[in-house]
Amino acid sequence: MEATEEQLILATGGYDHTIKVWQAHTGNCIKTMRFVDTSQVNALDRTPDKTRLAACGYQCIRLYDLESNSTTPVINFDGVQKNVTRLGFQEDGNWMFTAGEDHRVRIWDMISAPPHCSRVFDCQAPVNAACLHPNQVEIAMGSQNGGVYLWDVKSVAHEQLIPEMDASIQDVAISPDGHYMAAANNKGNCYIWSLNSSPSQQLSILKPKMKISAHSRYILRCKFSPDSRLLVTTSGDGTACLWKTEDFTKWRELSVENYWVWDVAFSADSKWLFTASSDGVARLWKLQTKSPERKYTGHTKAITALSFKDEIVAD
Amino acid sequence: MATYSNQHWLLSHIRNSFVSTDDTGMCETVMLSDDMPKHFLRKFQTATTTTDSYRRKALAPQRKSLPNRPTTSKNTDTATPTPLALLQSMGTGHSDPPLQEADFVCYPGLDLSDDEDLDTSTHSFDIQMYSEVGAHRFRSNTAQKLEKLDIAKRKAARIKSVNYNEEVLLPERKDFFKRKTVAPKQYRGEQTASTSTKKKSSDDELSDEGVRSKLSEQLAKSPKQVQNKFIEYARFDGTSQVGMQTKRINVYLNMLPEPDRNYPLKICVLSTAKIIEVIGFVCFKATNQYPEVPLKSVRHYALYMTEDNDDMEDFPPLDNREPCSKFGFSHLTLAERRPLPPVTRVDYHSNLVTKSMTSEEDKVNMAEAAVRALQNIDLNGGVADTGGSGNGNAHDKVREYEERMLSHNEMLEAPIYRTYRLSIIDKRFFKYDVTLGVSGERIEIDQHKNTKFWPQKKSVSTPIESVAHCEIVERRQLKALLRIWLKSSSSSTSSTCTSAPLTAGIPVPHAGSGSGGSGSAGTAHSPNSPGHYPQHASPFGFLSGLHHHHSHIRFKHYDFDTDLHTAEQINNKLNCILKMRSSDIRREFLQQRERKQEKQQAKKQLKL
Repeated sequence: MEATEEQLILATGGYDHTIKVWQAHTGNCIKTMRFVDTSQVNALDRTPDKTRLAACGYQCIRLYDLESNSTTPVINFDGVQKNVTRLGFQEDGNWMFTAGEDHRVRIWDMISAPPHCSRVFDCQAPVNAACLHPNQVEIAMGSQNGGVYLWDVKSVAHEQLIPEMDASIQDVAISPDGHYMAAANNKGNCYIWSLNSSPSQQLSILKPKMKISAHSRYILRCKFSPDSRLLVTTSGDGTACLWKTEDFTKWRELSVENYWVWDVAFSADSKWLFTASSDGVARLWKLQTKSPERKYTGHTKAITALSFKDEIVAD
Repeated sequence: MATYSNQHWLLSHIRNSFVSTDDTGMCETVMLSDDMPKHFLRKFQTATTTTDSYRRKALAPQRKSLPNRPTTSKNTDTATPTPLALLQSMGTGHSDPPLQEADFVCYPGLDLSDDEDLDTSTHSFDIQMYSEVGAHRFRSNTAQKLEKLDIAKRKAARIKSVNYNEEVLLPERKDFFKRKTVAPKQYRGEQTASTSTKKKSSDDELSDEGVRSKLSEQLAKSPKQVQNKFIEYARFDGTSQVGMQTKRINVYLNMLPEPDRNYPLKICVLSTAKIIEVIGFVCFKATNQYPEVPLKSVRHYALYMTEDNDDMEDFPPLDNREPCSKFGFSHLTLAERRPLPPVTRVDYHSNLVTKSMTSEEDKVNMAEAAVRALQNIDLNGGVADTGGSGNGNAHDKVREYEERMLSHNEMLEAPIYRTYRLSIIDKRFFKYDVTLGVSGERIEIDQHKNTKFWPQKKSVSTPIESVAHCEIVERRQLKALLRIWLKSSSSSTSSTCTSAPLTAGIPVPHAGSGSGGSGSAGTAHSPNSPGHYPQHASPFGFLSGLHHHHSHIRFKHYDFDTDLHTAEQINNKLNCILKMRSSDIRREFLQQRERKQEKQQAKKQLKL
């Protein structure tokens, strides 16, 4: 499908066991792929070359080819235990990381065929979130027992923090400029650290910066915008809040009333935001005006994950 | 083969074959009163039983024998003695033996079939076991399962498999994990951004850095497109649904221009979707595919059964509330919902079209018939078509007809069968709830079944030829008294009606109360006392004796009590039909009345 080259694609997945691919600017569904009959979609990410879409869920990790008309996966992971909560790719597509409730974050060598596991990190608690540092060698993780980790994938070097007791970290994020790390928990709090790269090429140094009482309920996702000037937090309270990283004050609040906002994605120029919510509808918001510009309707149940890869055209 | 001479077997066979092969869902409508014996039994009992206790006793065993079906005669046979025994053991004290289902079995003697083995069968070739000789044998479940597994295996072969729990193998390449410096451009961008936002910190907006994403560009190229208004139905898309039953249907779109409408829109929809939701989904797809064809709201459309050559069939549309899984069609047509009368009737007397108007053609025919009828009246010249307006000049008449043509729809719809619920006034003050049915052929009066207190009376059906006139004799704020005049000839109309003989010199009320005493008075009524409804002591009855030489036609009337709106509706409809028919009875009636009025006036003047 040359469509992937020409048009921008939004991928969504959710509780209806399907992954849908949308033409981003029109809202038309291009194709629908069956996921695993027994699993929701926990996270979606595309390979940097945009040809493949990776999806993870309960006891499964699958990669789909976006260029063929086939809706069956091209790579399937066997023997997966429990939920796989996050996955993502290194910027060259050399490797992929997965985080799971089996306490482990794994690095998968994607160059070799078939892919094989090249590194493992044990968090000693179910891992809810993982995020790759822009320096491509550090991974931030958040676990169900409230631990936040930063791990240098080349070694066993890591940092562990517990910002709040008896809270489960739901998502972690590192700003594309490498300045901040954010971790959001199920109590509605979001913690910010400033990151400083060490001159000796060692693990970045974390300095607690601040705590935002972002939502009254569960935070599901936090993400920095590509220009690093915004942080978005989505919550079970039916909102997605945008915070200015300048001073971490609230800038915008987008509302999908009575529904959980499960996932978000920015456009490359940080002017647009996609949201996935439990009403089964993905929305595209114009941040400047807070207006929903497009709706992506077709899922029969909650959308829990989305993936959007944009690019900068020109200055 | 002996069974073929068994008519009951044949009946049952036809019936079962119909039920098992019908995927229209029509059989459910047609066979609502499926359990005929029970149906008749209940009907008979409610009609005849007077005491509740008896009915309860009778119903109890009836409930017990509920699973009985008339077609499975064996069952009926074995089960029926039970209610009988029960009833008898109860000792109901009735002299007549109580009725039971067996008395109403539609196919008696079915079990007398010579071939004993066949009795256990369902009498349908579609439900019988396949013998392996000569017939196509279905593949067994295992064979199908095996094939599925095979397909899955072949599919899996194309899927690369990775073991999640495999041993960790450190990367051979040293530069596999390569630290990258965070893009300085982004870094710089952030710096300039923060400074620029600082500059206008009062502003709530972030500055535009001049970067533009592909998404922004594409969105700008396709400005705010019209959102598909059927978007809410998109969720019934059945493509690639996991663990959900789906249905593939080819839908012809009747509203498309010529070439396109011959090609069906192929849809895949969730089986759980109701028909109305399928319509919505088709509209959604159609809007995507043919954005130039504007569609109305889903309520305007209906799905009709179709042959695969896109010819719509003359069946009513699929029921909006039913799930689409219920129907087995591969092809359907989406078209504007056709008007549907409450009851579709076939007209045996072809002089007036009373069929439901299913097409434009029918409507045209109807209009022509109406025009012809009007012209007919015109040609007849002197025919007074409104009471006592015979002296209007020709010009007035033309205008009048024109006006009437304006109420075209009323004219067209007049002969279509319609029912109204109202009360009939019987014997001056008794009122019964009845259903009045009016069509181009006849009027029907049917007492409501739920009227418990009064004994059920027979329904009356009067051919339209015997109906003389309809009028509203009393208008009040909310209530109206509607009167329908009928020819009361002993031979043609039903004898259950009391008549108000015009030729008799006595005032109408007396006649009514006199003959109304008989129990067989049916739904008829007698006219009301002059004191109660002063207008009723019309000159009509009063003077009728004076000109009974002119006519031998006697008229009687029914009085109905209803609200003004309904009364006007019936009045318009019925008179419309009568006018279109230019009926002689009506002419006669109006002439008689006119003469009477003239004479009464003459009398008044004499008195003065």
